[in-house]
Amino acid sequence: MKQKVEMDTDHPPELPDSWWYKVYVGVIVSLVVVLAALWSFSRYFSS
Amino acid sequence: MRFLDWAVVVAYLAYVIWDGIRMTKHSGNVEGYFLANRSLPWWAVGLSVMATQLSAITLVGTTGQAYSDGMRFIQFYYGLPLAMVILCITVVPFFYRAKVYTAYEYLERRFDAKTRSLTSFMFLISRGLGVGVVIAAPSVILSIVLGWSEVATIFLIGMSTTFYTMVGGVQAVTWTDVKQMIVIFFGLFVVLFVVVSQFPAQVSFTDGLYLAGTLGKLQTIDTSFDLTQKYTIWSGMIAALFLFLSYFGCDQSQVQRFLTAKSVSEGRTSLLMSAFLKIPMQFLILLVGVLVFVFYQFATPPMVFNAVEAGKISQTAEYSALQNQFQVAHDRRKDAALAFVGDRNDSTRQAYVAADKGFNDARKNAIDFVKTSTGNSGFNDVNYVFPAFVVANMPMGIVGLIIAAIFAAAMSSISAELNALATASTIDFYRRHFHKEGTDTHYVAFGRLATFVWGLFACIVAIYATNLGSLIEVVNKFGSFFYGSLLGVFVLAILVKRARARGAFFGLLFGIFSVWVASHYTNIEFLWFNVVGCLVTVIAGYLISLTVRTEELISSNET
Repeated sequence: MKQKVEMDTDHPPELPDSWWYKVYVGVIVSLVVVLAALWSFSRYFSS
Repeated sequence: MRFLDWAVVVAYLAYVIWDGIRMTKHSGNVEGYFLANRSLPWWAVGLSVMATQLSAITLVGTTGQAYSDGMRFIQFYYGLPLAMVILCITVVPFFYRAKVYTAYEYLERRFDAKTRSLTSFMFLISRGLGVGVVIAAPSVILSIVLGWSEVATIFLIGMSTTFYTMVGGVQAVTWTDVKQMIVIFFGLFVVLFVVVSQFPAQVSFTDGLYLAGTLGKLQTIDTSFDLTQKYTIWSGMIAALFLFLSYFGCDQSQVQRFLTAKSVSEGRTSLLMSAFLKIPMQFLILLVGVLVFVFYQFATPPMVFNAVEAGKISQTAEYSALQNQFQVAHDRRKDAALAFVGDRNDSTRQAYVAADKGFNDARKNAIDFVKTSTGNSGFNDVNYVFPAFVVANMPMGIVGLIIAAIFAAAMSSISAELNALATASTIDFYRRHFHKEGTDTHYVAFGRLATFVWGLFACIVAIYATNLGSLIEVVNKFGSFFYGSLLGVFVLAILVKRARARGAFFGLLFGIFSVWVASHYTNIEFLWFNVVGCLVTVIAGYLISLTVRTEELISSNET
């Protein structure tokens, strides 16, 4: 039988650390992609 | 400024002040006034984090810097995403779960009252002076636009922001920040489109980028490892990383942002929003400055952007002669630019680069003449480039929108910083040392008084800050003097179990002293002071902590 869970909307539940570590990896990968894009941008218009 | 421009600016100011004041009803108790009862959503906190960092200096100083020096400055932000990840793992859950009002409050729990007081005092001094510089930038613009004295414009901006911050507390700060960020982004996109639309018919947006790129204005990565170079990928990834760790993790003006979030997860998300958006946003701002540079390849720029200083000597014969040389150099460069756009080859490229050098020499002669004639050896008109461009070249209504965006950028930073200064003054000093048993109403009243006093202090500092060169660098230099050492104390507190109060206190003093030595006796650029200060504080703090004997620890624990 399903139990009705009351959500505390003022203080939502915390996300697990494992989820956060994936987000952090995503941030670092995005940074590398952005730096590569900026480097290509500079090179393209300077040549 | 025409009627429509005035209407936009006045409507913006009236709305922001009204919006701030109506938050008073949520600010009756201490936690509501200083931390919004820890109830704000991540997107509002995230926008507030970005708005606090994005001051009018960022708009005015950075666009001017892009005009003169290109996009190199963007490298300063490369360490920011890494800093945000580190802070999300460490201080965000730490401070949030400790239920503190200020970052320095935690240091008393970990070390002692004097370490808390010293760090909080350092924050008050450096940030109090920093707000003054933040107020100075938009006041420069207004003084040009209105022809008012800078003192009058400083007090108009400073005290109007002080008013709604004083009344509405952190709720007013955050929710006005959200609206101000919308105005800023909208203004940036509009100015971008208008600048490009004013290029000559045969020059496209891409042609403009080729022109800028040929003169080295689009360099975004400099891999040379040179500590005397201001902006390289290394200073951004290493030195600025330390600055951002300290700014977002130990500076109350930013810590207070994520302490208002609903939960640790929402606090983390708000910081990661900056991690994703900050570099693209900074790219956009710098691109505007570069496009203004391209615009002035075809339209004649002012020889000196600071109209007030130029006006003092514009009637002299030497100035007229320099103006003629400048016009000739500009015409040559314009012709070379058009030739390069028409046919991009080595010959037209070299001719264009040579013509640009001739133009730069002519402008340098003019700047040197201003310096010698006015006796102002530190004269620098970088901060005047963007406002002078906007007022002279933007259509009716858009001038008002851009001025409102600059106001928004200024007020969003000033309000958050005043609120943080008031919080540290109230919680770390007044409640801790002078009046421990007050009611909520009493502390909120004191917080409001502190906001007013800090607002007044910042206005007085701003009066002296308008002649300090590139204002964004002035603010970063202020920060770099203290930030590294401050970060070192928090590293000791959180990561070094053996660290003791004596070590933290004297380590901090050693750290500040080491930065003073580095600034006076070496040529290293100011961003690296953050690394020096942090490392010296941690090493000295650790070594001094080793001198605290176990018996002393036991006896101090027993008492």
